[in-house]
Amino acid sequence: MKEVIKFGGLLLLITGVAAGLLAYVDSLTKPKIEEQKRSKQEEALSWVLPQAKDGVIIPHSLKGKVCYYLGYAHKDTTHLVGYAFLAKGTGFSSDIETMVGVDTSGVITGIRVLSQKETPGLGSRIVEAKPGETEPWFQRQFKGEKTGQVAVKEDGGEIISITGATISSRVVANSIKEGALHLKKLIEESKGK
Amino acid sequence: MRVGKEFFKGLYQENPIFRLALGLCPTLAVTSSAANGLGMGLAATFVLVGSNFIISLVRKFIPKRIRIPCFIVVIATFVSLVEMVMQAYSPQLYKSLGIFVPLIVVNCIILGRAEAFASRNGVGLSLLDGLGMGAGFTLALLIIGTIRELLGAGKIFGHIILGSGYNPALLFILPPGAFLTIGLLMGLFNFMEERRKRG
Repeated sequence: MKEVIKFGGLLLLITGVAAGLLAYVDSLTKPKIEEQKRSKQEEALSWVLPQAKDGVIIPHSLKGKVCYYLGYAHKDTTHLVGYAFLAKGTGFSSDIETMVGVDTSGVITGIRVLSQKETPGLGSRIVEAKPGETEPWFQRQFKGEKTGQVAVKEDGGEIISITGATISSRVVANSIKEGALHLKKLIEESKGK
Repeated sequence: MRVGKEFFKGLYQENPIFRLALGLCPTLAVTSSAANGLGMGLAATFVLVGSNFIISLVRKFIPKRIRIPCFIVVIATFVSLVEMVMQAYSPQLYKSLGIFVPLIVVNCIILGRAEAFASRNGVGLSLLDGLGMGAGFTLALLIIGTIRELLGAGKIFGHIILGSGYNPALLFILPPGAFLTIGLLMGLFNFMEERRKRG
C-alpha cells in the first residue's frame, strides 16, 4: 500500500512537471505558430486567386466566422473576379486542408494544400513538386476544372491520382467538390439577405 | 576505447534495423525514397540523442519498478517540445521534417535505448550511444530508401538515374517493396555476420 502511494505520487509529480513544461512552451510558441499559419494562408490566397493580384481579397464572415473570401480585380472592390474557400477532408491518416480559388463561373483558378500529415512518400506527395518546379503537379491538375465535375479518374473524373495514394487524392478532389457546393449555398444565402 | 565502441556499434554490429530489428514500423512507412529515409533518420537521431541525455540525467531518481512509464512521459514530452519549437522558430525545417515527428513518438528505438542503455550509463556514453544508434538508423533508412527509389521510380534523391529504357517496378515504392528490401538486406547482414564469426 505504501509503495503504491510512493510510486503513484512520483509518477504524478513527473507527469505534472511534464504537463507544466508543455503548457509553458505552448504558450510561448502558440502566437508564433498562429502568425505563420496566417502568413501561409495569405500567401495561398493570392496564389489561388491570381486574377485578384492587383486588387484585394477580403474575408467574408457569417456569424463571426470566416466562411469564404472575395477576390476583387481592383482595390475599390467594384469588380468581383472570384472566391476562395478552405476545403477540408479526412484523408488516409490526417485531415487535409486545401485553399481553393474559383472564378465567378465556378472554374477552379488554383488550389494549394495548406496542411496534411499523410504517409510520407505516398499520400504526402499531394504537396510534392517535381525537381525544378515550384507547383506540385498533383495540385496543378485542378486548374481549369469545373468545381461540379472535379473527381479523380477512378471516380470518372479527370484528376490523375497519386500511385499508391488513391485515398488521399480522392479526398482532395471530393473535399473541393463538397466545399464548392457549400460555398454556392453560402453565397446565395448572403445574396438573399 | 569504450568511447569509439559505443558509437560504432550502432552502425554495424548493433545496427538498430538490420541487427536489433527495432523501429521497423516507421522504417517500412517512410523509406519510399532516399530523401524521406534521410529526413526520418536525422529527425530520429536528434530525438534519440536528446532523450538518451535526459534519461541518463534523471536515471538515479527513477525507481526501477516504474521506469517504463517515466521514460514514456519523458520521451513524449521531449518530442512534443521539439515539434512546437521547430514549428514556431524554424518553419522551413518543420516543412521537411515535421511529417516524421509523429512517427518518432512511436519509434521503439527511442524507448529501447532508454531502457537498455541510457538508464544504466552516464551522460557522455549515453550521448554517444544515441549518436551511434541514430547514425546507424539513418544509414539503414538511407540504404533502403535509395534501393526502393531506384527500383521503384528509377531515381535517387529525385534525380533520374535509370533512363526512359527502365520500366519502374512500382511494387518497390509500395509497402510490399519495403518488406522485400528490408528482408533481403537483413538476410545479407546475417550472412556477413555468420561469415565473420566463422572466419
